[in-house]
Amino acid sequence: MSPVRYRWREWLSRYGIALALVALVVALSLLSPTFLATTNLINVLRQISVNALLAFGMTTVILAGGIDLSVGSVLAFSGALAAGFSVAEWPPALAMIAALVVGALLGLFNGVFVGYARLAPFIATLGGLTIFRGATLVYTDGRPITGLPDAFDELGNGVALGLPIPVWVMLAFLALTYFLLRYTALGRAIYAVGGNEEAARLSGIPIVSVKLFTYGYSGLAAALGGLVLSGRLNSAQPTAGSGFELDAIAAAVVGGASLSGGRGGVIGSFLGAAIIGVLNNGMNLLNVSAFYQQIVKGAVILGALLIDRLVAARRE
Amino acid sequence: MALLEMRGIAKRFGGVEALKGVDFTLEAKEVHALVGENGAGKSTLMKVLSGALIPDSGVILLEGRPLRLHSVAEAQREGIVMVYQELNLVPDLTVAENLALGRLPPLVSYQRLHAEGRALLAQMGLRIETERPVRSLSPGEQQLVAVARAFAQQAKVMIFDEPTATLAASEAEQLFQLIRRLRGENVGVVYISHRLEEIFALADRVTVLRDGMRVATAPLSELTAERVVTLMVGREVRTFQRAPQGKSDVLGEFEVAAPRLVPLNLRLRRSEIVGFAGVVGSGRSEALEAMFGLRGTARWKGQLVTNPRQGLHRRLFLVPADRKTQGLVLELTARENVVLSVLRRLQRLGVIERRRERRMVAEWFRRLSVRPPDPDRPARTFSGGNQQKLVLAKGLATNPLVLLLEEPTRGVDVATRFELYTLLNELAKEGLGLVVSSSDTEELAGLCDRVLIFRGGKVVAELEAPVRREEVVALVTGALQVA
Repeated sequence: MSPVRYRWREWLSRYGIALALVALVVALSLLSPTFLATTNLINVLRQISVNALLAFGMTTVILAGGIDLSVGSVLAFSGALAAGFSVAEWPPALAMIAALVVGALLGLFNGVFVGYARLAPFIATLGGLTIFRGATLVYTDGRPITGLPDAFDELGNGVALGLPIPVWVMLAFLALTYFLLRYTALGRAIYAVGGNEEAARLSGIPIVSVKLFTYGYSGLAAALGGLVLSGRLNSAQPTAGSGFELDAIAAAVVGGASLSGGRGGVIGSFLGAAIIGVLNNGMNLLNVSAFYQQIVKGAVILGALLIDRLVAARRE
Repeated sequence: MALLEMRGIAKRFGGVEALKGVDFTLEAKEVHALVGENGAGKSTLMKVLSGALIPDSGVILLEGRPLRLHSVAEAQREGIVMVYQELNLVPDLTVAENLALGRLPPLVSYQRLHAEGRALLAQMGLRIETERPVRSLSPGEQQLVAVARAFAQQAKVMIFDEPTATLAASEAEQLFQLIRRLRGENVGVVYISHRLEEIFALADRVTVLRDGMRVATAPLSELTAERVVTLMVGREVRTFQRAPQGKSDVLGEFEVAAPRLVPLNLRLRRSEIVGFAGVVGSGRSEALEAMFGLRGTARWKGQLVTNPRQGLHRRLFLVPADRKTQGLVLELTARENVVLSVLRRLQRLGVIERRRERRMVAEWFRRLSVRPPDPDRPARTFSGGNQQKLVLAKGLATNPLVLLLEEPTRGVDVATRFELYTLLNELAKEGLGLVVSSSDTEELAGLCDRVLIFRGGKVVAELEAPVRREEVVALVTGALQVA
């Protein structure tokens, strides 16, 4: 392969998603006069914040060759826990931190089954999905928890420096995850485990610990999403987040993450979440029926995967 | 008229001529052995015959009729079947169902299915219950079932490539009986093996390949094992020869234990290169992997090595046989691969120190002259030889005492191969101990101070430098028996 063609293809696989997002934005701004308005764009960012948070955690799991179907349930359980503790007069900050810790522990629970018991990640986290949802229903008795302190409202609906707090939370977690994956030894190990587990093992990388970490991190991300969502709704819903795992996977995959592991990145997942969010928002502005929106969203996911597969096939 | 005739078969892979116009004939009712050293072209020739490879030139005649084979399926329709290690049996179906697979009627009468299966197995002289799921059979029995199925599908030519590598002795005997029976049923059998005693027990004729050319075809009754070995090796040509070494002080001792391996002790001297020779299944690879704690355990200087992490901790490093599946993370850059085993040392508070990383990688790129000299390209874009250098660089970056290498130059072009030998020689001079497990006798003879011969899971002989290739080949193939 000539260096020029090689670089061209690398460039395309790295920036293709960004190009797609730009093209989508240009198209929508031509179609709808209100789309490019600052308030609308900020609105889009706020709408994608929870999905993006889940997608960032999901990305670390997928990069290490796994999958985490339990994030929607972890989100619900953590959100309910934080709400419950707050209603029980815990200081809001403490309640939130406790919920984050529990979210990470739930992720580790998944990780133990994947890492030590070597269950297929799909199955292990499907178990997690069901158990944690059940636990949420038990804890909330199937009823929403309301009457949350102001801190939740601030987290979900506040604004700082012109941007909604959920957007700041999302950007901060994006930066953290980017740093983790790109600059730390652990991040390097995550890519290695997902890219070639046998080679990673022979290189002395502690496979099980790395996998455990990614599930814990995904649990933490889901818990953070749960806090933001409770804040936005000013309540904790027992059914919050059901189906969110699929949106998070979609964002990561549209953003270029390979489900077989080792390829992708958190910036891509952010752009993937943004593409899905922009698409939803644009179709709303254009009065496309919600039924058709689902069809378009599915088509975009398939299209992104097809393009990725074609680029990968040409590379062989 | 011969059952099968191959004329002037030529095949080139990039710059390598794997087959340079090979002729081969096979009669019905014949077991024809195909022998040669690794890389002689045996497998390539049989891949051409079984439709897996399309030759650059040459013709294949089956019963006098020219064949143009473009796929394995086409060859099978013509009655040419290769019995692979992967047997294409469905593990959860019964023996009878597997025997009839592909020929099952829309509605199955199980009574008839089992009756036909039993009749077929009886014809083949096999005693396997047709009701058993294939999963419950031993690997040897599974192979027998696969062979019987091929026979049922009217195979005219059957190719066996090292069929006994994974079999127990009693299972191998059963397979030989089956092959003799196939011969009686008008089938032509091509039998590839490194084990000469099998060939003399089984085959009628032998064809010897060397460097992509046929050097002889003769009835086995006219040959001795020594003569076959001489034909395989040819005259001694050496691309690399390590200078004789004096005795240096002892670096340490390995005590190695692995499944299907007689426990082994190996004392390694500083600057010494020890070779492991043996055919597939002889235990040489198992021993080498176990020394690194992979699929086995070892003690190095009395300290346990039960997994690769511990191996690295004891300053050992294994360069595995398969660069793509075991050696490298292909999607990561060359740089990221080279430092993969030393991440712990390159980090401060978990963060990789980029400048030190780049300096270290640049140094190893220069030392091993990796090409292209661009560490930021993905590892998959490097050639085979340069990928091997990346794996070596990864190992050397750990500052090891002992380097364990499995097939270090497999699939590496000649020029890079010479470079690698020179490098390994230099590393030994610097005081490392090296263990090289290889099927390439030229490599072993040129590089090693002594060579251990593995057969049937144990070391049966030890040769000191200067090592002669003929002697190695004679010992690993069993042409030369050791008391």
